[in-house]
Amino acid sequence: MLFNSYPFIFAFLPLVLLGYFAAGRLGNLAAVIWLALASIGFYAFSGWQFVPLLVLSVAFNYAIGHLLIERKLSPAARSLVLATGVGGDLLVLGIFKYAGFFVANVNALFATALSVKILLPVGISFYTFTQIAFLVDAYRGNVARYALPHYALFVTYFPHLIAGPILHHRDMIPQFERAEAQRPHAHLILCGLIIFGIGLFKKTVLADSIQPLVALAFGPVPPSFDQAWIGALAYTFQLYFDFSGYSDMAIGMSLMFGIFLPLNFNSPYKASSIIDFWRRWHMSLSQFLRDYLYIPLGGNRHGSVRRYVNLMITMLLGGLWHGAAWTFVIWGALHGAYLCINHAWNYFVPPIAPRFARAANIASFTVTFLAVVVGWVFFRADSLVAALSILTKMADPTQVAFGRAEMARAALIVVYAAIAWLAPNTQAIMGYDHKKRIVGENLAAFQMRPWFIYASAAVLAIGILGIQQHSEFIYFRF
Amino acid sequence: MSTSAKNLVRFLLASVAFMAAAVALNYIVDPLQLFRPAKLFAAMYSQDTRVQDAGLIRSQDFDTVFMGTSLAIHFRQSEIDKALGTHSLKLAMTGSTSREQSFVLAAALERHPKRVIWEMDDWIFVDSDDIDKDIWLPADLYRRNVKGVASYLFSGAMMRESLWILLRSIPPLRPIVARLTNGVMFSFPLSDVDDIYALRDDFDVPGTYNAGKAMAEFVHITEPSRAAYLGEGYNYDAEVKNFERDAIGLIKDHPDVTFNIYFPPYSILQWVAMRDASPATLKTVYDLSAYMSRRLLEFPNVRLFDFRCIQAITHDLNNYSDVVHHSPVIDKKVLQMLASGQYLVDRSAPTASLERLKAQVQAYRVQR
Repeated sequence: MLFNSYPFIFAFLPLVLLGYFAAGRLGNLAAVIWLALASIGFYAFSGWQFVPLLVLSVAFNYAIGHLLIERKLSPAARSLVLATGVGGDLLVLGIFKYAGFFVANVNALFATALSVKILLPVGISFYTFTQIAFLVDAYRGNVARYALPHYALFVTYFPHLIAGPILHHRDMIPQFERAEAQRPHAHLILCGLIIFGIGLFKKTVLADSIQPLVALAFGPVPPSFDQAWIGALAYTFQLYFDFSGYSDMAIGMSLMFGIFLPLNFNSPYKASSIIDFWRRWHMSLSQFLRDYLYIPLGGNRHGSVRRYVNLMITMLLGGLWHGAAWTFVIWGALHGAYLCINHAWNYFVPPIAPRFARAANIASFTVTFLAVVVGWVFFRADSLVAALSILTKMADPTQVAFGRAEMARAALIVVYAAIAWLAPNTQAIMGYDHKKRIVGENLAAFQMRPWFIYASAAVLAIGILGIQQHSEFIYFRF
Repeated sequence: MSTSAKNLVRFLLASVAFMAAAVALNYIVDPLQLFRPAKLFAAMYSQDTRVQDAGLIRSQDFDTVFMGTSLAIHFRQSEIDKALGTHSLKLAMTGSTSREQSFVLAAALERHPKRVIWEMDDWIFVDSDDIDKDIWLPADLYRRNVKGVASYLFSGAMMRESLWILLRSIPPLRPIVARLTNGVMFSFPLSDVDDIYALRDDFDVPGTYNAGKAMAEFVHITEPSRAAYLGEGYNYDAEVKNFERDAIGLIKDHPDVTFNIYFPPYSILQWVAMRDASPATLKTVYDLSAYMSRRLLEFPNVRLFDFRCIQAITHDLNNYSDVVHHSPVIDKKVLQMLASGQYLVDRSAPTASLERLKAQVQAYRVQR
């Protein structure tokens, strides 16, 4: 079931919300169990055949966590239990996500004709990472004892289950344990609806509308210089509005349940460097990779060469996490290289004189954005050959179409760029602070001025009216 | 009630009111002319024929329906009417399958036209999704059931078009809105139904249709790495089954309607490509073609034209933009031949023209 569908908005969400508050009257456990069951029901709509795998994964990781938290094991035994847990998770992920990729490469290398057909379970990358973090923290002794229903809800919680944000148990489970969350709170429901509406608008109006332009670069017809740029930029904005729209919807609907989800985006295309970009784009994944991969690898603690190696490894695996294809590996490698260059620049190049600061900022913003666009070409292309072909067209200004259609499309790109670069983001509009657990304070202080209520109601209505059939979120396939 | 609760109620009511206003706007302006022919506002038309046809069937007067794929898409209704003395409605859809064509034709036949002119390709009969799984063709809109009408009225995209048409109908704004209207930003850019997919007068015909392009496409599709695509989806039994369901079923159900069906004049290269790169596909097409001819001519309400073996057209590669799509000059010839009854297939020899085609294909030598 998609967030951007009538059954979800008009049936599933209101029913689950009403059931949650009704169960909350019976006690915290009843509400948590209701929400966990509803979440599994939601997952079943996306692929019922994968429900057993999800349930088994939750049970397996809870059992491993239980051993690490409850039992007094020797250090060696603890390491073995952790290795079993993480290894088991990665094995399942490997089989379901990477077996086909592995076999295709074996076939290419050894001219064999092996065949493997395994369907990718929806959301497996997200719920695997969420639970690996839990196990690692349990091993480190940073996890309190959690009841199974609360743990199960933490993993399966439907606003984040399919495409994140990647949640942290320390952040989420205490919220599920709070009894007051299970009482309806008009302010949170209102703010949640407004944020949900903004996300829905981003998806159905902005992302879906620009989608046809993407085919200019990535379609079957070789593009001209301008068409390649229009297509690549269209994808750049489509991906942002699609994924940040999804994240806003997840945050908004969770808020209706009284649960604050972490932010996933902070105007990434306003970034002034690649380091800055990764602090703004898919933030929950960046934090996961930093805390559970980059830092355990040694981070920047063993000299600059090791730091660059660690960065490259982290970004290569981050790329591969997105999908089992060489295009994602190259995308990760490219961003690893960008980050290395960025860190080296910061280290070796002296600070810019204040009088040139403005020009330097504009230059670094421009270079960062272009580097990101080049990366997205690999991310979106069907193959490395296709990506290189598109990039070649983008670098060849001798072939220009720029007819009436291209002019109109370029104008549309300018509108999207203006929104991404100049408009405030959702958390700025709503005063959403995940850490302080506050939202809409300023708006409440002004008693929600009528114009804001009506404008945000129009945004939600337009978002609902924009719903088209068969419009999945891009990140569902990861 | 707390202030927050009051605001929540206000927000929900405002959302509902906004949606209700959008529904009212879509109903009143009715961009597709689904409920009534345009009177209050200027009629505008879309090139998205799978959607637009649902409205055309309801809003236009016609006694003849013109159906086909991209090979029939550039005809002007006015030219069809001039050549054949009809009052036609063109419903051709690019890349359409027999299932789509049959479904749309069935909807049009509810308006009781006298005849159907059907440009019929063999490849439309390959297996395709059920009409309700077709994401491009809004089947419920044709059926005008609750789901279809609701999806039309509750559409934000349609609301944008409604607003645009509304603005275009305000006299002082008309010129500037008309100038800003284009197919990229708005889906209903045409003010004349005759212009749907019709080529403009200044269209570069020689630049688009020439032997160089036709031969380049031939070379491309016969490359060893691409040859497998020539036979993609072809399966004799499945195609016969689909032909019976989509063509024969419709013809049988409407004995009072005359079906003027024609096999279009592809370039000889289309056949030679199959001959050289995918002979099994060529055999399937020949067999299917023979079956179709025999079966169609069993019905007294069918007139079958076969233009595939007119050497003067099919061997002159300057008539083509690739191996199948012919120029508007040939469109005019097709109309003339339909009017004069030239190349009408004799009921006593339904496959005679196919045999002539086979001989031509066998004899043809490609000059690169």
